[in-house]
Amino acid sequence: MIPLTHFLVVGACLFAIGLYAVLARRNAILVLVGIELMINAAILNLVAFGRYDKTMYGGQVFALFAIVLAAAAVAVALAIILNVYKFYRSVNPEDIKNLKD
Amino acid sequence: MNITALVFYVFATLAIGSALLLVSMRNIARSLFLFFIVLFSVAGLYVFALADFVAITQILVYVGGVLILMLFAFMLSNKELLNDLQIGTSHFFALPTWQSLVIAVSFLAILVYTSLQLGADEPGWIAASREAGTVLTPTDQTIQHIGVQIMTRYLLPFEIVSVLLMMALIGAAHLTRKEATS
Amino acid sequence: MPTTALTYPLLAALSAVLLPFIGFLLSAALGKHVRNGAISISAISLSLLAACYAFAQVWNQAPVHIQWHWFTIGEQAFHVGLLLDNIAVLMLVLVCVIALPVHIYSAAYMKGDPGIHRYWTYLSLFCFAMLGLVVADNLLLMYICWELVGFASYLLIGFWFTRDSAVQANKKAFIVNRIGDIGFLIGIGIVYSHLGTLDTGTLISTPETLPAPWLTVAGLAFFLGAMAKSAQFPLHVWLPDAMEGPTSVSSLIHAATMVAAGVFLLARLFPVFNETVLLVIATTGAVTAFVAAYFALTQYDIKKILAFSTISQLGFMMVGIGIGMYPVALFHLVTHAFFKCLLFLCAGAIIHEMQHVKETHALDIDPQDIRNMGGLRKHMPLTFATMLIASLALAGFPFTGGYLSKDALLVHTFEWAALQSGAAKLIPYVLVIVSMLTSFYILRLLANVFFGSLSNPLAKNKTHIHEAPMTMLIPMLFFAGCSLFPLFSVNPLNDGHVWLMQGLTTTVSTLPPLRLLHLVIPLLTTGVTGIVAVIIWHWYVNGKYPLKTNGLLYRLSQHQGYLDVLYNVAIVRPIVRLSHLLLWVDYHVVDGTVNGLAALGRSLAATAAWIDQRLVDGLVRLVGKIAWGLGHIFRRLQTGGVQRYFATLFLVILVILLYHIVVLL
Repeated sequence: MIPLTHFLVVGACLFAIGLYAVLARRNAILVLVGIELMINAAILNLVAFGRYDKTMYGGQVFALFAIVLAAAAVAVALAIILNVYKFYRSVNPEDIKNLKD
Repeated sequence: MNITALVFYVFATLAIGSALLLVSMRNIARSLFLFFIVLFSVAGLYVFALADFVAITQILVYVGGVLILMLFAFMLSNKELLNDLQIGTSHFFALPTWQSLVIAVSFLAILVYTSLQLGADEPGWIAASREAGTVLTPTDQTIQHIGVQIMTRYLLPFEIVSVLLMMALIGAAHLTRKEATS
Repeated sequence: MPTTALTYPLLAALSAVLLPFIGFLLSAALGKHVRNGAISISAISLSLLAACYAFAQVWNQAPVHIQWHWFTIGEQAFHVGLLLDNIAVLMLVLVCVIALPVHIYSAAYMKGDPGIHRYWTYLSLFCFAMLGLVVADNLLLMYICWELVGFASYLLIGFWFTRDSAVQANKKAFIVNRIGDIGFLIGIGIVYSHLGTLDTGTLISTPETLPAPWLTVAGLAFFLGAMAKSAQFPLHVWLPDAMEGPTSVSSLIHAATMVAAGVFLLARLFPVFNETVLLVIATTGAVTAFVAAYFALTQYDIKKILAFSTISQLGFMMVGIGIGMYPVALFHLVTHAFFKCLLFLCAGAIIHEMQHVKETHALDIDPQDIRNMGGLRKHMPLTFATMLIASLALAGFPFTGGYLSKDALLVHTFEWAALQSGAAKLIPYVLVIVSMLTSFYILRLLANVFFGSLSNPLAKNKTHIHEAPMTMLIPMLFFAGCSLFPLFSVNPLNDGHVWLMQGLTTTVSTLPPLRLLHLVIPLLTTGVTGIVAVIIWHWYVNGKYPLKTNGLLYRLSQHQGYLDVLYNVAIVRPIVRLSHLLLWVDYHVVDGTVNGLAALGRSLAATAAWIDQRLVDGLVRLVGKIAWGLGHIFRRLQTGGVQRYFATLFLVILVILLYHIVVLL
């Protein structure tokens, strides 16, 4: 079927793209998207390796967990972003740099 | 090359291309829709990795949950936030800052290189499982086995994840409730 | 042998010396309250009594000597003591006998002077020092009294210190005397190094302990000291200028006593001088006598004539020492003391009256200039009489004491010259010529002052010149009596019976006598004096002076041989220039070095300050700046920007991964 490296390479690309999004974008939502991309890349990795694990299905089970956790993270992150926006009037991560008084 | 590989490549290209577009677009709304496409493509890739349940879960949770949540949060926020979220900086395509590009490219290089190395000489356990015949085949019933594994071997992580979900729920609810005028 | 018990003669001598010192201290302590000279006069009268007593006890007896230990340096002990022998007691009495009348005279002469308290103080100091000098028994004590006498002279010459001429004169006197004192000190040094003691008695008895060259040098050194003090040529230049002091001072110090101190010293240390030194002494004395008499011929100031006369007579005394007959020299010293002192006192009386004339008629004349005087014989008869006696004594006219001493001197000089060879044979002839010149100048003085008439017509008519007051006259009369022969010898014409010389001659070798000279010399001198008197009468009294007054010889005499000018140009000015040079050196080189060092120190300090400020502080601040700079750099890490943190994080992970890949594979 599809060799392992193909999946890994695709995952690597997605990860790099997500990393770039996290580092370079000035919008918090997009940073969140970048994080999601990275998580997706990781899950792809898990699944790719999970093909060789029939006894324990470890790769796929943990992929499921990862998806769930990613969802939870998104929920909380969005809540935080909305709250932060209320205070700072901006979603640019660079503007959010004051420590709590 | 056969049709499987071709389809795989299509899905891969779709995923990566959409991701690239996604990170370079100015318009957030459009980025989110592109993200939608990425998620679908990745779900397709999961299928090729013989993880069909994960693919379905991806679509259900990610696309149907996370993405929708993002869209809702994005669309249904107040106007200023919408405007701010929409506008961003003046250019349509954000200029990539070279430091992050360098880091991303370096990571890509390293990861690709490692992956290729991995492909060159397989890790021991993969070879062992191949010999032992425990490699997944397309005709396996993954759902059933996953369910069994979750309930027996991975019970603890399962419960913890559910607790964690509950925490996230409560936390998000608390964070977003309206403050009493103080 | 020095005794340790104070016998009466010693006590008398000691009190004679110390009484004027007590007078000095009292006068100095009382300061301005001393108006009359009661303290000083009573002190000197008591001194005179004590001196007479000591004389009576010691004359022609064994010498008396006492010594006390004074101080010790290391292992050398120095003593102070009194030595009374014939010479000492003679001088003791002489000084007191001269000093007392002069004190009395001064009371009248200096009356009304605002500084008179200083006068009595200094006069007492001088008497103390002079008396100390004659009884001192060692060279150190003698030197101290020598210096004190010079110092008292300095004080008294500059008595009217507001006058610039007086100040210059006393400076000159002191400095020229200093030159002589160097000689005295050198002599002391040589004696001490060879003999180990400064005792004069030891020195006189054993002069041969000094090796031959050193003996000559020591003799010359002591003679140098006497040269300056007794105004021998060429160190005589201070004495004419010393006439700036009061006339009574001139009479006591610069005629009778202080200037005689040099002769006294040579007489005291006579055994020390060998043939060479004695010849030098005689030659110097002869030259001095001639030169001074030559200068006296044309002087106009009455006191200067007398000053040069003193120098000339001192030259005579030096010749007396040089020929080996110091008793003759001392005899001449005694007679000279009387008649020269008298001459000065008379001159003082005359000047006093001329000053009175000047003030009454508001004339612009010098009261001491003989050209302004004349015809005073009628107004001041007693002064004229005493001055005449004194002049005759100076000229060596028979029946005076001066005749005896000069005659003795001339004869003995001829006797000595007979044994000599070469130029020394000329010395007696020089002295004869000097005697003639002496007659000339003193008779010239008499003629100008007492005969003729006052040159100023104004003063001639309404003049009120009267005789000197009694207080001044009595001392003058006393000295006039002493100038005549009875004091010295029963026989007025023969010097063989002079008791003074007989007392002193016992220790001196006599020269083979030339009996004929005792007749020739007096006849010659008396005859010449008579001829000179006639000439003087013709020239000065009758006013028929035939010679030119601007010839070279005349001018040479009047300007004192231009010696003062010579000294000024050759010695004074170079020394002043040298002192200016040294001042320049001191200011620029020495001070310059010091200032240079200070500047160097300052520049070093400035450099150190710069280093401290720039380098050291800079170093410290550099540390601070580095910390700040590093902090400033690292501050940028803490931007608060999450993405920056992320980037850093991933960068580090990248590096670790690279490391793992590159190094470990």
